[in-house]
Amino acid sequence: MAALVRAGFSLAKNAIFSTSIRSISTTKHLNIKEIRTSLEGSNIIIEGVTVPSPRTELLIRPEKLNTLIENKSTESIEKPPCYMCSLGLDVKHTDVLILSQFVRSDGCMLPRRITGLCRRQQKKIGKMVTMAQKAGLMINLTPAYSKKDPKKRWNYKKFNTYFDETTIFMKRIPKPLDRFKR
Amino acid sequence: MSAAKRVQQWATFARTWHVFDCKWQDPYESANIIKKYLMGMHKPIYHPMNDCGDVVVCINSREIALRGDDWRKRAYFHHTGYPGGASWTLAWELHNKDPTMIIKKAVYRSMKGNLQRRHTMERLFIYPEEKVPEDIMQNVTNQIRQIRQVPTRLDHIPEEVVKNYPKVMEYPEDYILK
Ligand SMILES: [Zn+2]
Repeated sequence: MAALVRAGFSLAKNAIFSTSIRSISTTKHLNIKEIRTSLEGSNIIIEGVTVPSPRTELLIRPEKLNTLIENKSTESIEKPPCYMCSLGLDVKHTDVLILSQFVRSDGCMLPRRITGLCRRQQKKIGKMVTMAQKAGLMINLTPAYSKKDPKKRWNYKKFNTYFDETTIFMKRIPKPLDRFKR
Repeated sequence: MSAAKRVQQWATFARTWHVFDCKWQDPYESANIIKKYLMGMHKPIYHPMNDCGDVVVCINSREIALRGDDWRKRAYFHHTGYPGGASWTLAWELHNKDPTMIIKKAVYRSMKGNLQRRHTMERLFIYPEEKVPEDIMQNVTNQIRQIRQVPTRLDHIPEEVVKNYPKVMEYPEDYILK
């Protein structure tokens, strides 16, 4: 009964405040928005301008690689894998040139609706970004208040740390003493 | 005996000096490598009763890297012998006190505990910085290869390279650059 009431309530709410999202876009593909504010007399004009993306020409896609196309035609997959899965790159947490593409200018990982990755890859890349930040490899992509130089960090954080990528999908990271357990 | 064979034989019996750069290396992984050179296990004439070990000079021991949360989780145990004399020192505390101690203990632990071990350890020199006394550096003739690659920081890569590096991710069309 309660579920029915809740469903009816949400239906009525949707009818009143229509919050349906149209996923059809009329803007040109591979453009990004830029918000510009300008002062004209006594009016402040805020406009959204579409600008060409700076990384369109440098983009690497599996369609561009000839070897991967042959493999794709032979096997039929219902749902195509995301670009990171199909590229098949072995990314480590020290590959800062790749990881910095998934990050805002303050070093925060972008959400999945922007990166367009699958669930597993998003988790993997997100964890590797954290590893790179903790190891102090992307210190120019950090918030202004953070301690940039790893040598100036506090206690154990000032020493070099490396991470093991195989632990990303482990439920529980094994401790060295586990060898002696029965 | 040819000249090459003669040099090979000379090199086998000589006590060579190796240098090992500990920068961004795991001490417990590199201890297994250093151990082999210290005991002379890389030589064809190796025997435990045979004094054929080499000398290893470790530099940059302050720059070692531990895995994951090892810096705050790994503890070093010491007992003074008196009641209540036990103490546990965390790895980062030990490294603060003596930056050569972790690598020394790692190499010591990797070897079998016999009477020879103390004498083998005498052939290991560890320096926290790159600066090594001249009389030690002039003997060094070989370098041991590092296990892990030293990572490059993003701010040390020139901006042109970062800009022109092949891109994987493309922003959606209505994304606002931040
Ligand atoms: Zn995927």
